Amino acid sequence: MSLPPVARPQRNGVSAFWEKVLSEKWQARVAVTLIILAALFPIIDNNEGDIDAAANATAFAMLALGLNIVVGFAGLLDLGYAAFFAIGAYTCGILASYQVQPDWSSFWEPFQWLGLVEHLHTTTADKVHFTVSFWLVMPLAALVAAFFGVLFGAPTLRLKGDYLAIVTLGFGEIVPIVARNTPYLTNGAQGLNGVNTPKLFGYSFGVMSTPYYYVGLIMIVLLIFASMRLKDSRIGRAWMAIREDEIAAEAMGVNRTRLKLLAFAIGAGFAGATGTFYVAKLQTATPEMFMFPVSVMLLVMIVLGGMGSVAGVVVGAVFLQLLQSWFLQDLTQGVHWLGQVTGIAFFERIDLVQSIELIFGIVLVIMMLYRREGIIPARRAVTALTVAEQAAMPTRGADIKGPEKLHHRAVDLAKPLLEVRGLRKSFGGIQAVRGLDLTVMPGSIVAVIGPNGSGKTTFFNLVTGLIEPSGGQVVLAGENITGLKPDAIVARGAARTFQNLRLFANMTLLENVLVGAHARTHAGALGAVIRPPRVRREEHEAREGVLGILGIFGNRLMPRIQHLARTLSYANRRRLEIARALMTEPVLLLLDEPTAGMNPTETLELTEQIRGLRDRGLTILLIEHKLNVVNEIADKVIVLDHGEKIAEGTPEEVHRNKEVLSAYLGRTAATVAATAS
Amino acid sequence: MTFQDVLLQQIINGVSLGAMYALLALGFTMVYGIIELINFAHFNIFMVGSFFALWVMQAMGIVGQSTILWGFPLVGVLLIALVVTMLGTGILGVAIERLALRPLRGVSGTAPMITTIGLSYILFNLILLNVGADSKNYSNPLPQLRWEIGGATLRLRELMLWSIALILMVGLHYFVRRTKMGKAMQATAQDQEAARMMGVDVDRVVVITFFLGSALAGAAGLIFGLYYNYTSFIIGYSAGLRAFTAAVLGGIGNIPGAMLGGILIGLIESLGGQYVAVRWTDVIIFSILVLVLVFRPSGLLGAAAPSKS
Repeated sequence: MSLPPVARPQRNGVSAFWEKVLSEKWQARVAVTLIILAALFPIIDNNEGDIDAAANATAFAMLALGLNIVVGFAGLLDLGYAAFFAIGAYTCGILASYQVQPDWSSFWEPFQWLGLVEHLHTTTADKVHFTVSFWLVMPLAALVAAFFGVLFGAPTLRLKGDYLAIVTLGFGEIVPIVARNTPYLTNGAQGLNGVNTPKLFGYSFGVMSTPYYYVGLIMIVLLIFASMRLKDSRIGRAWMAIREDEIAAEAMGVNRTRLKLLAFAIGAGFAGATGTFYVAKLQTATPEMFMFPVSVMLLVMIVLGGMGSVAGVVVGAVFLQLLQSWFLQDLTQGVHWLGQVTGIAFFERIDLVQSIELIFGIVLVIMMLYRREGIIPARRAVTALTVAEQAAMPTRGADIKGPEKLHHRAVDLAKPLLEVRGLRKSFGGIQAVRGLDLTVMPGSIVAVIGPNGSGKTTFFNLVTGLIEPSGGQVVLAGENITGLKPDAIVARGAARTFQNLRLFANMTLLENVLVGAHARTHAGALGAVIRPPRVRREEHEAREGVLGILGIFGNRLMPRIQHLARTLSYANRRRLEIARALMTEPVLLLLDEPTAGMNPTETLELTEQIRGLRDRGLTILLIEHKLNVVNEIADKVIVLDHGEKIAEGTPEEVHRNKEVLSAYLGRTAATVAATAS
Repeated sequence: MTFQDVLLQQIINGVSLGAMYALLALGFTMVYGIIELINFAHFNIFMVGSFFALWVMQAMGIVGQSTILWGFPLVGVLLIALVVTMLGTGILGVAIERLALRPLRGVSGTAPMITTIGLSYILFNLILLNVGADSKNYSNPLPQLRWEIGGATLRLRELMLWSIALILMVGLHYFVRRTKMGKAMQATAQDQEAARMMGVDVDRVVVITFFLGSALAGAAGLIFGLYYNYTSFIIGYSAGLRAFTAAVLGGIGNIPGAMLGGILIGLIESLGGQYVAVRWTDVIIFSILVLVLVFRPSGLLGAAAPSKS
């Protein structure tokens, strides 16, 4: 795919340096250098204490990467992340320690044969000793943690995001309590003992830190790889879309419940795997290791590094770990020295190591107030177009007459594409839509007009599933779609734009449009990470499709393809909404006031483009207030007033209709107008 | 003690706890009603409040439970402690709103909530670093008056707490329903934009809301200390979670709902502690939170499910 080059500014000195360091080619080089340095670290610094601190730091970097998927990518605030860490840890503790010892029976023999348990001969009784291998426990713990993630995420996911925060906070609180209250499984407050150490090819890790450090490092590299791949995939884009605007994401075919649960489960799974690693390294687990402060520390790591930024999160995690284990000690001495020199007693007493949690709190507040995107933002601002690029003459309707159809569905031209029968919706006592009937034939442009509050947008919301009808039926291409979820309706070929613009503001144009492809592409989380040929092909085709669709708008959108949607002008936002809806490959396109806020030239341009879309196989239903647009392109006009259809016909017929005149102009004025003509 | 006596005793205890949770829940619910934000700082404003009250009483020479007062001195001391504490936490809440939350008003996503978590953590650690991790013996000038009702005991302490909570809640109810400011609050909760266009100074409404909510949290802090005879840096966490559950149970954003929810949570805590086990109380209350969110997210008295995003 060939993207138009994005202009980079000429900068000098320090910013030019950073520009270079942060450019993609350099990012890879910096990453490889850092990995090599990290791999050499135990050889360079042969101090067991330092290596131990570094091995512990890897665990927290892993956790931060997992939390970043939940908080950074999907925008779900999880305040009890340590609970999943605990679940992983205790899964390992139970499957690979002396903690749980049921009585021996023949039931255990096959497991003994598989090497999962040992027959323990004690003086009093024969017991079972679980000895499941570390390498088996780790994926198992991830699954168990993911299961709990789904279990506790599910109740809150249909509510506002805040509720997830409070439920996870509560979950984070009770998991250590349950651990303390079930000594049979966890040995309560004393903590697990005798956790088996991992073995690899007969070599036991024992209590030295170096092997754990390398396992941690490899896991981090894998998790970074998985995070990067996920972020730039169908799944990652759907998460970001949910984070930006849940309703728009749903209307573009994203099943938000499923994707939120997926994010939650993957995040929990990361934590579960890390729990296993951490317990194996420490050889114990106590409830105190998984309390609220751990969750807060992880949150600080990702907030400091940059929510959603994989590199930022790793930097944040490593920095905070080093701060705790190395820097603060030295800093405290420095401050004490300052106190002695200046004679300020306060400085002499201060202990920064003790104040670490206070520092965490301050970091959270300062970052939120002054730098919400973190040290290394997930996105760098793309520079605005140059004057020359902006002044370039918009080519109107460049590819508009392209021969190919915009969708690949078979449409029976003889039957109505959309049939609405007796559709009703009431909000409390107000009947917004009452008994609406209408049919839309394939390949036509039907305009819905009516005074403000006549139920036009409610009608659109009912057809696209954003609200559920109180009665009646909506049939699309012979299939009853009444009451389906918006994402299911998109998948069946009806896509829409919004009157009040619901773009994914912090995603690029390219990503915005790619979200539209969600419902008709298939890559799952695993496919997104591994990227088999099928997924690559699908992604490639989707990107080609984006270029084709943006081409409809000439050079209005194309040069800005890597810009964030929130930087667009109002008219371009309207165009982008249409492009995003087209990407779902609809047969029926519902446009809610597409030309609102456009000047006459732009309106004319868009009118032609809408007609072009019809010529390429789409059926269009549009709400429009500009009657010249309606007269120009509509084959049929439907007039709504107080939720009822008061007229239907060609634009000319509707213009002569007295009821329409009275609805728009009031009774008296209508009489006057009628007499005058 | 017979079963009825135990039950009565636990109801007395539960209502006392419930009064405290209700005061705390009001702060959550009022702030949520106005600006749709879960204010995690509220957890620890409550905790700081219990220390403010302790310090005020210590400054008046009442240390521990040895100084017993009667009559006017008792009422005076409690009144001073209550008023100073409520002013203190109220101002703390206003400062938090002005310095850290107002700049983030209108920022979507998780940023405002993360800020309140940071603020909560700052308060928590400031107290921890200043007073230490051990629990502090609370000043309590109440005489040990008690009345036997069957086998159950009603102490002056409980009567005192009930009346403080009742007076505050009636006062709040009157304020919200009858005063101009209260009406402005209701209007802002309904529709901020419309209220602004009708001349309501929304910034001022938000400040007053934070002041009232935080002041009530301070009162709850004093009640905690008088009831349990101790306080500690750590009390905000579980009390806050219970109070939040109370707010959700009653219907978030709904003031009478918060009062009802608070009393119910208090009863559940005391009865659950009696008939299940104290160590499982948190788990029971958390389960209630999850169940309410699943089956009745609008709460007992709430009107609409908080599902908009």
